[in-house]
Amino acid sequence: MITLQSYLTLSAILFAIGIIGIIINRKNIIIILMCTELILLAVNFNFVAFSYFNQDYTGQIFVFFILTVAAAEAAIGLAILVALYRNNESIDVDKLTALKE
Amino acid sequence: MLTEIIFYTFSSILICAALGVVFFRNPVYSAVSLILSFITSAFLWFLLESEFLALILILVYVGAVMVLFLFVIMMLNINEQKANSRFNTIAPLALLIGLVILIEMITLIWLKSNQFTETLVIIASPSSENNTLELGKLLFSEYIYPFEIAGFILLLGIIISISLTLRSKKGKKTQIISKQIDIDPSKRVQLVDLERGDN
Repeated sequence: MITLQSYLTLSAILFAIGIIGIIINRKNIIIILMCTELILLAVNFNFVAFSYFNQDYTGQIFVFFILTVAAAEAAIGLAILVALYRNNESIDVDKLTALKE
Repeated sequence: MLTEIIFYTFSSILICAALGVVFFRNPVYSAVSLILSFITSAFLWFLLESEFLALILILVYVGAVMVLFLFVIMMLNINEQKANSRFNTIAPLALLIGLVILIEMITLIWLKSNQFTETLVIIASPSSENNTLELGKLLFSEYIYPFEIAGFILLLGIIISISLTLRSKKGKKTQIISKQIDIDPSKRVQLVDLERGDN
């Protein structure tokens, strides 16, 4: 019998991996965006697991909205990245010091 | 028994794929690993009887968002960055922080497990209703305003990403509005006195 705790533990592991990824790969914006997607996936896992074990569909509605917002966020983030690359010829975080000078 | 085997196999694949997202040096490998983790979690969502969301996850995430990621990675040509040392002095600190977060959350989850089993009613037989039907009924009756707001957010996403990436061509003939406003009317219109003819 798979309990709710197993799913919550899996989601916690995914969340921690996402946090570690953001801190380790802080030089690379694309991998930071991907780790954000991973963290959102962990949150969605929580919602779906609670929705199943409570037999309440509201959690799945929430996951639906989170997926919508995350898709819009990924599109805008990648558009910002493309605009950044056009202006700077690189997306290296260390070169983003225009506001410092 | 079969459910346990499926759950543990798929969750170990999911954790390995998530680790791959973090530790691969090439961003393309990371993106492909993220695709694998999305597909695996979609199969795990099938176990939780949320078929609609699992299919949406595959269609929207793998089909649209991750293809967009791969497209941007290949368009930006950032493969030369992989030679840089990404695993710097902060890596042990990151691992420490992640482990602390993980231990805290797992301790809380398993300490409070009595409460979960008390309050939650685990229903053995799957609900007779169609999952998509139930979601649709809720979405179009009780959650209709959030649904419309979600549509508006998607519209905003379209407008913002187009306006950020739109690049006007060099030889394009357009109106320059500031010049049009700055025009001095006295230079534009010249009043000439004409003599009235006799015919």
